[in-house]
Amino acid sequence: MANQKIGAVLVVGGGVAGIQASLDLADSGFKVYLIDQGPSIGGVMAQLDKTFPTNDCSMCILSPKLVATGRHPNITILTNTEITGLDGEVGNFEVKIRKRSRYIIEDKCNGCGICAQKCPIEAVDVFNKGLSKRCAIYVEYPQAVPLKYMIDREKCIGCGTCYEICKAKAIEYDQKDSEATLNVGSIILAPGFEAFDARLKSEYGYGRFQNVVTSIEFERILSASGPYGGLVLRSSDGDIPKKIAFIQCVGSRDFQLGNNYCSAACCMYGMKEAVIAKEHTPSNLDCTIFYMDMRAYGKEFDAYYNRAKDEWGIKFVRSRVAGVTEDPRTGNLFVHYVEDETPKTEEFDMIVLSIGMRPPKNVEALAKNFGIRLNSYKFCETSSFSPVDTSKPGVFVCGAFSAPKDIPESVAQASGAAAKAMSVIASERGTLVAPKEYPPERDVSQEEPRIGVFVCHCGINIGGVVNVPELVEYAKSLPNVVYAEANLYTCSQDTQKLIREKIQENNLNRVIVASCTPRTHEPLFKETVQEAGLNPYLFEMTNIRDQCSWVHMHEPKEATEKAKDLVRSIVAKAKLLKPLKKPLINVTPVGLIIGGGVSGMTAAVELSKQGFEVHLVERENELGGHLSTLHYLLDRDDPKAKLNALIKSVMENDKIHVYLGAEVADLTGFVGNFKSKIRQRNGEQKEVEHGIVIVATGAIEYKPTEYLYGKNPKVMTQHELEEKIANGEFGARNVVMIQCVGARNDERPNCARICCGQAIKNALKIKEVSPETEVYVLYKDLRAYGFKEDYYREAATKGVLFINYEDERKPEVANEYGKIKVTFWEPVIKEVVQIEPDLVVLSAATIPNPDNKRVAEMLKVPLTKDGFFLEAHMKLRPVDFATDGVFLCGMAHSPKYIEESIAQACAAAARATTILSKPTLEMEGIIANVNEDLCSGCRICEYLCPYGAIEMKEKDGKPIAHVTEALCKGCGACGTACPTKAIIMGHFTTEEILAQVKAALVEVEA
Amino acid sequence: MSGKGEFEPRIIGFLCNWCSYAGADLAGVSRIQYPPNIRIIRVMCSGRIDPAFILEAFKDGADGVLVAGCHLPSDCHYISGNFKALRRITLLKEVLKDFGIEPERLRLEWVSASEGDRFASIVRDMVKQIKRLGPSPLKSKEKNA
Amino acid sequence: MENNEPKIACFMCNFAFCQTEMRIPSNTSIARVNCIGRIDPVLILEMLEKGADAVMLVGCKPPDCHYIEGNSQAEITVKVLKKLMCLAGLEPERLKLLWYSPIDKKSFSSYTKEYTEEMRKLVLSPIKKAVSESPLMINILAAKNVASEFRLRVLLGREKELTESVNVYGEKIPIEEFNSLLEEIVASEFVQQKIHVLTQTKPLSIKTLSEAVGMKPATVLRQIVNMRRRNMMTLDHIEGTTPFYKALEVK
Repeated sequence: MANQKIGAVLVVGGGVAGIQASLDLADSGFKVYLIDQGPSIGGVMAQLDKTFPTNDCSMCILSPKLVATGRHPNITILTNTEITGLDGEVGNFEVKIRKRSRYIIEDKCNGCGICAQKCPIEAVDVFNKGLSKRCAIYVEYPQAVPLKYMIDREKCIGCGTCYEICKAKAIEYDQKDSEATLNVGSIILAPGFEAFDARLKSEYGYGRFQNVVTSIEFERILSASGPYGGLVLRSSDGDIPKKIAFIQCVGSRDFQLGNNYCSAACCMYGMKEAVIAKEHTPSNLDCTIFYMDMRAYGKEFDAYYNRAKDEWGIKFVRSRVAGVTEDPRTGNLFVHYVEDETPKTEEFDMIVLSIGMRPPKNVEALAKNFGIRLNSYKFCETSSFSPVDTSKPGVFVCGAFSAPKDIPESVAQASGAAAKAMSVIASERGTLVAPKEYPPERDVSQEEPRIGVFVCHCGINIGGVVNVPELVEYAKSLPNVVYAEANLYTCSQDTQKLIREKIQENNLNRVIVASCTPRTHEPLFKETVQEAGLNPYLFEMTNIRDQCSWVHMHEPKEATEKAKDLVRSIVAKAKLLKPLKKPLINVTPVGLIIGGGVSGMTAAVELSKQGFEVHLVERENELGGHLSTLHYLLDRDDPKAKLNALIKSVMENDKIHVYLGAEVADLTGFVGNFKSKIRQRNGEQKEVEHGIVIVATGAIEYKPTEYLYGKNPKVMTQHELEEKIANGEFGARNVVMIQCVGARNDERPNCARICCGQAIKNALKIKEVSPETEVYVLYKDLRAYGFKEDYYREAATKGVLFINYEDERKPEVANEYGKIKVTFWEPVIKEVVQIEPDLVVLSAATIPNPDNKRVAEMLKVPLTKDGFFLEAHMKLRPVDFATDGVFLCGMAHSPKYIEESIAQACAAAARATTILSKPTLEMEGIIANVNEDLCSGCRICEYLCPYGAIEMKEKDGKPIAHVTEALCKGCGACGTACPTKAIIMGHFTTEEILAQVKAALVEVEA
Repeated sequence: MSGKGEFEPRIIGFLCNWCSYAGADLAGVSRIQYPPNIRIIRVMCSGRIDPAFILEAFKDGADGVLVAGCHLPSDCHYISGNFKALRRITLLKEVLKDFGIEPERLRLEWVSASEGDRFASIVRDMVKQIKRLGPSPLKSKEKNA
Repeated sequence: MENNEPKIACFMCNFAFCQTEMRIPSNTSIARVNCIGRIDPVLILEMLEKGADAVMLVGCKPPDCHYIEGNSQAEITVKVLKKLMCLAGLEPERLKLLWYSPIDKKSFSSYTKEYTEEMRKLVLSPIKKAVSESPLMINILAAKNVASEFRLRVLLGREKELTESVNVYGEKIPIEEFNSLLEEIVASEFVQQKIHVLTQTKPLSIKTLSEAVGMKPATVLRQIVNMRRRNMMTLDHIEGTTPFYKALEVK
């Protein structure tokens, strides 16, 4: 029994990484327990205002994921929960947990919030970083999931007001902490990070000077739902600042503090905060960023950096700030720093400290409980070739706990960890989750509309303002309404039963709920009507709380009239509602992977572990891609041995069909049902069917045209140097390395990410094989992010000279009488220096595979301006394309290190598994339909559809628009544009919307 | 609240499901008060809003129409629906003039899910503005006819 | 001078009242109430606002109370009102709680005479000279708003139960702890209500408000943040780099 595998996974930590891992697992047929120490999920991302590099609103993109997690039938969220013990081994763990009391019965609390309105006690609002207050009974933030209130037992005086006011009877003062045991097959750790305590960097004055804030506080300040309503204010006097300084690397790259590593995300978020601050400030605002190296190493980050400088006018000063002092009279601050070897002081109104990431709180206890090893900084120990494995089998890691990282990297790792966690229990897929069964659907097509209206009191949230009995009577008077009633809480379990009964009793064929927001509650009611045999699209909802009673609290009469208008309007729409079918699509449980480098191979192996067949297509005659050019790594792992082992596991795997010297010549179809033609080495074409595609086409090294490359044999690229060292042919006494060759220029504005690491790696190797050799590294910004900072430091300690250059003063390489001369500006001694090296090594950029364009056109997926593949969303969908069923990973996405490629490859496999693991996919019913008689074949819709869901098909000799149901997302752009009104948008038809408009505007005698 | 006989504009608000409707919800959750003149109609995307809906709304007696979607450039849940809305509404404003409707009666705004305050102030501002403009000219024409 | 005689408004418990015994001095007006524990604190502040130099609550000597705990409730009300009066700039002595019984040896009129003497030393209530928008009147208005605030009323209503008996968790809250909590809440409520009153007529900046309430701008900002959360306040406009805030109507 102990060796019996269990089809459930424990995910520790409800931040964005934990959420992503949970969703991927749950969508692939596994039971998930998502636990978090706090009262709600969302993590740090829920506190952010905007996200780089797109400046998307953080809450806008996170909140749908929160809702999806909260509602997922396969996910159990356990909040306020801690791990107390672990037993068992991979496949079968026994996890002991303790759940702290909320003093609220979660099943009963419906989050109406009336308790917090009446609670007499205030407490410091931790979510808003202490900049505002909340009550002793609270939710962390308005969009919190689960939306269950909690009593702050420290602050609560036990007056009993909430108990009296709560109509749902959800308050339970004598609720005790509870303990439980969970049985799971594998575990994912995603506990995130703890922000560095800025007080420890006392010279910057945080905690002493009011106008010095941390970057997380500043996120709350910038947030429209934050303490200042999104206006940047000084805490000392509430004035809008005119000059803000951002100080980078606070608690990072700080040897004295013991945090030598780089926190990897701060350069970008600092820049973003500066840009957004300017955007939020009506008056003129100057922003200056004090930095050591601007580490904008990610996809499109340098383009953002350039815009920050050129478009937004952010000033950048390369200097480690020595200290901050305050003018106590004005609250203004003086930044003391050294620039060009000269001490300087500048006055600012406000200072933002870009604080770094620390390992999560209680990390030792966590490590002990799970039996995992930590690295020297107490982050989780991982390695290049297994970036999501911990030292304990069956326990995986993702997000900032393995190393400081930004959101997309965390999300990719999360999906990657999900793949790993699934693969050890792949045989148990579907054993602990059951699909929901519904009764057969009633045919209502011949029936007159018979509408039932359920009006929610929401305790007193609606009923306290809107005259609910009057509204119910009014609803009864409307045409086609055959039943109406009021409920104390329409969302409660017993009301669901009641709605089902009323549907039967009154033979209702349309159901309306007038209550709160459909964004959170519509799925619940749709399920209820479906349980009563009605098509879920015969349900409609109108919002008389969030958009009526709560915003017109002091105008009960007007609010009641508005509620009547809203009900009348939705009744008019409901009359026209049509049942919609959710298209079912069969899935071919086979994957196609384009590219046989480390990413493609890893994805193939992971998919095979999930039990799926894979076609792996590689253009070259050998597997290995870019990795085969590597001989050693920074972390001293042996890449050759790893590569050979990986190739062996691919070649010997009977689920993986490898095509070498081949390419995908043609691809048609859509998610679940693709057909491809593989052109093989022998010229033959093979047709394969598959359910998903993973793009792993990799990238190539730029062939420099600069610095005499190709003209002088002493000038070579880092790869060529590596080859030379590996072959024992290195004998130079003097080496100059030049960074950013072919990157960060006008042609390719973005950073190639891995060249700094390459340079450090080769410099260290040179020092190892030939310690006397002088190595100069001429760089723009040394982007040794994360723990790579350690190697940077090591290289510097071993005598490698790192010399900064600016674009205005690039180094020059000249050939004089057979000797090579490098001339550059030395900023410390402020002199032009000329040296004669034996070797000039160019850190050539990693550039997109030239074949990307062809592949992109074939798959109908976009590329970035640079020519890398562009994912569906830069932040939260790093390995998805907007086209369902097509994924990407590795350097096809952008240049990256091996561990990042492997994490993405596993992620792509996990995302693919959410499709391949289902025999059929159920699509959304709200999609476009073409009335072929009306279609004029003008192709406007085809052009407008952002998903390529519309194609023209010949019918009776003329082109007719055809909607591929599997691709349509239901935005309705096509229907709106169609000149002949031939496109009908399900559930939002023109007739329905117009009826709604008309009814809303009917003049009613008050 | 308002005196008898004072003109109370009737405004139709078309809100996209993902950002603006969520922003209006947040105004509610935060109990930010605004005048009760707006009737909100939810659509999936601001790109779904047909200029015909807006013209019909004016014809049916609306004094103002608000179209709200996700912020430009990249907040749109459907990649580019907000740009489609921007083009359509900009054009429609020109057309409205031909109908004798002041273009100020039609507003296109971007409201994110965290901008409850912004949504409320847009409604407040719009009500104030339309009160100044008076009832829709279409309405008085109809009555006179 | 008749005009200089302090006017004393007296609320008297029915059960402490005995007409036959009572000779009421001309400067004192008496309103009979069923129980002084039930008097709305707002009413007391209103008497002071309308020109009474002092208010006296007269009730039965503990432990005698027809309504069992009315007199101890009155003690709590008076305690908070005195705090509020201090904050508003009125001498707390202008409110007196007197335990009286008709069978007392000392007559009621001698009590009032003593109190009148005391009040004479304080001279006239500053309110008499105050015009409607003077700081004092604003303070009184703010104090009245505090007294009618739900949160505060909950605390006042529960004080006895929480400090003498047990709360919902079966714990007893030490009176000192409760008092300091109450003090904190009264003080912060008062500032908020005062800011609210001040910004009702026109939007004001934090600097102006900070001078008006005699507090640091940083403290005012914190109060405004809290008031915005409670929908008492909104940003009105910005002049240069200075935001101006305006009160929102509160029901």
